Amino acid sequence: MLKFFFWLKYLCKWRVVLLSVAAVALSVSLLIVVASLFTGFIEAVQGGAVDVVGDVVLAAPAAIERYPDFIERLEETELVTAATGTLSAQGLLHAGKGNVHGVTVWGIEPDRRARVTHLKSTLLRQATAAQAPCFDVPGAAAETGGFVGIGIVADPDETTDEYDREAVLAEMIGQRVFVTTGTIVEAQNADGTPKRKLIPFTIADIVYAGVYEFDEGFVYVPIKVLQEALYPRREGDLATSISIKLASGVDPQQAVAQIRGLWRVFAGEELGWDAYRIAVTEVITARQMQAQYVVELRKQMGVLLLIFGVISFSVVVLVFCIFYMIVKLKQKDVAILKSCGVGGFSVAWIFLGFGTVVGLAGAGIGTVLGYVITRNINTVEEWIRIALGLKLWQSSVYMFSRIPNQVDWASALPIVALAVAAASLGALLPAILAAWTKPVQILRYE
Amino acid sequence: MYKLKLIIRYLLRRHLTHFAVLAVALCVFIVVVVMTVMTGLVQGFKEKNHEFVGDCVVGTESLVGFPYYEEFVERLEQTDLIAAASPVVKGYGLQDAEGRETPVEVMGVDPVRHSRATNFAQVLHYRASEPARAFQPAYAPEAPGCVRGIDLALGRNASSEYLYHAQPEQTPVNLTCFPLNARGALALAGTWPVRTQKFFHSDYARTGIAAVDGSLVYIPLEQAQLLCTAGTLKRVTAIHIKFQPGTDLARGCDRVTQLWQQFRQEKSDAPSAYLLETVKVESWKGYRRAFIAPMEKEQVLLSFMFVLVGGTTVFIVFVVFYMLIAHKRKDIGVLKSMGTSQVGIMALFSGFAFAVGLLGSVVGVSGGYLFLARINGIEDWLFERFGFQLWDRTIYAIGDIPHQVDVKVVFVIVGSAIAACLLGAAVPSYLAARLRPVETLHVGQV
Repeated sequence: MLKFFFWLKYLCKWRVVLLSVAAVALSVSLLIVVASLFTGFIEAVQGGAVDVVGDVVLAAPAAIERYPDFIERLEETELVTAATGTLSAQGLLHAGKGNVHGVTVWGIEPDRRARVTHLKSTLLRQATAAQAPCFDVPGAAAETGGFVGIGIVADPDETTDEYDREAVLAEMIGQRVFVTTGTIVEAQNADGTPKRKLIPFTIADIVYAGVYEFDEGFVYVPIKVLQEALYPRREGDLATSISIKLASGVDPQQAVAQIRGLWRVFAGEELGWDAYRIAVTEVITARQMQAQYVVELRKQMGVLLLIFGVISFSVVVLVFCIFYMIVKLKQKDVAILKSCGVGGFSVAWIFLGFGTVVGLAGAGIGTVLGYVITRNINTVEEWIRIALGLKLWQSSVYMFSRIPNQVDWASALPIVALAVAAASLGALLPAILAAWTKPVQILRYE
Repeated sequence: MYKLKLIIRYLLRRHLTHFAVLAVALCVFIVVVVMTVMTGLVQGFKEKNHEFVGDCVVGTESLVGFPYYEEFVERLEQTDLIAAASPVVKGYGLQDAEGRETPVEVMGVDPVRHSRATNFAQVLHYRASEPARAFQPAYAPEAPGCVRGIDLALGRNASSEYLYHAQPEQTPVNLTCFPLNARGALALAGTWPVRTQKFFHSDYARTGIAAVDGSLVYIPLEQAQLLCTAGTLKRVTAIHIKFQPGTDLARGCDRVTQLWQQFRQEKSDAPSAYLLETVKVESWKGYRRAFIAPMEKEQVLLSFMFVLVGGTTVFIVFVVFYMLIAHKRKDIGVLKSMGTSQVGIMALFSGFAFAVGLLGSVVGVSGGYLFLARINGIEDWLFERFGFQLWDRTIYAIGDIPHQVDVKVVFVIVGSAIAACLLGAAVPSYLAARLRPVETLHVGQV
């Protein structure tokens, strides 16, 4: 009870203690915001990959024949909800007057793909349609339709970094475009140079995934159309990769092992592939695909947290200074307590406990502040843009349209614990000095 | 004189002030190291961009380009301010080399003119001393050569070194483009709208800019015009300009703007004159703004975060001075009774705060300088011992970590540290100045 009395008295009388609370709060909030933003970005990178390619990807060194049969086998297992084949190629797109882009061309089955990924929600025209997405061009059913990323056909507003989606839809749907994948046709040009195969298609929808790489550089056409361009002499269904959605609750690593087993059997017995080709076929989770990049991001996060953590260590010094001052100025109080029979440990605990309380208070305020800033980071960024004309976050630089704003509690709790420990450490030496106070020397009348 | 003596005495005798010095030193050390590295990276990046484009660019964002460029280049070269001008065609193409297709950026240049206007010659590997032969493969001098961005052809090891061959590899490179007419439509529509040209790899270009080295292919200007443009009037997309040494950038760009406006006026009735409307004159900073601005913004953001965290130092100085003045009430009373004014007292403690800030800054800057001088050695040691590299050189296009301390940056940091100390000591100094001798020297007090 005595301790609480002193804590309250010192808190009310020594307003300078509030400085240490403020310093702890500032440091904790900054560290929480930095850790949460980085962790959120990493999660967005990994989550973005899952949204676009599914939970697991099987990528083969050569085109997979009869991939629908393999998909059927996958979907018969309890692991897999749905799977879809993809053909992939690099290409060059002409999307209108003066608009030429290097692109990645994906041949897909949009209805099946929508079951495996979040394709439907990224389509501007068909996102809210009742039926599954398709390549049908409105008012031109006979045309070969395709989807293009929004960044290919439009530029975002320089100030807001937002696209005018309505204008893009109005202008681009029904537009005829050409893509070449470099495949050579048999006939040569008149000057003897090779003739490249062209895939003309009509834009049926615009893709806006909120991930810069996909919005700026991807084009989607029917898988059969792309197969015709890439493998004109081959019959049957071909795919270069298979995207797989796992059933909920399935461990991705276990699923990868089982899918690899199924593939080994299918490729060996039904496709007649040799052991080498089967072995080099990658079966990998979407998250693992980003592993190398994520490692670098975590490294940068660690370095930044270390830097701010070292500077925040000065909180220990601040708490030490304040408590040293209190102990020195309150020596008589301490001496009276000790002369009344309060033990050295109890005296020390008054100050150590107070230091811990200061740490807890500061960490609590800092956590709330960090939470509020992180959750409203996009609003803060918008205010800065309006007030200073400075657009801090751009999708072309940071990959995503929105700043990730989830608080990472797994990082926040250790930060809070360290802040409390730092404050306690700062109060430790003054507490020991207080415990060593000799009443006879302090209270002696001179 | 007494102020100086008192300041030195307080610094040496009052051990608590050492904590303030330590806190300032720690903050200054961290900020010097981080800002030196950050500034070095940003400066290095800006310099590379400057060298890549020259001093000024007359160009259009449209891939269609503009005509009558030769006349304008002639006019530029007659101007005293202009050292060199290089017309350039930029477009997008599909590179087919080493068995795979890759979307690339195509830049058509006259190697001699471009070497005069930019650092083109310096970025070449085999033909750095003879840029006129940049497009002559050593193994087939008559064949049309192309210079490829180094990351298109070679990989980097963990030391950021490329594994060069003694001679350029005998690699045929097919480039496929969509030639555009003056309206931006496909020039060969109705026949075959894609053009392909075969080149032979003749050299590497290493600009040090990751986006360029990973996507740019240089070819002769005339070949680029054939591949990317079509029509009776030859067109280019930009003219890169180098000013005479000593020319002020703004003045030079203004002069070029005047010349361009005059030229456009004269050509207003010429065929395809509407293409001249889209042309802008920009300094290298404006032209590369989209690439440079994000790095500058990050630098500003990091500085702001350091300002926030550095607030702890202000608190520490405040507390230390508050304690010091609480202990030195009698000294202050004696000084004031001997005639020292309030201003004198404030000057004493402000001077002391200045000394703390200066001493802490000197220690911090010295420590930072020593650390930076060894930073690359430390990173090499960490990599050999623990496999840890701050930036993975196989991913990031960074050589050595920048470690040249910028005097201007140091002055700003030291100035800020001293200002923070003065700010922290302001209130305690004011309170000290307000002390009355009669209160502090009262018999009861003595």
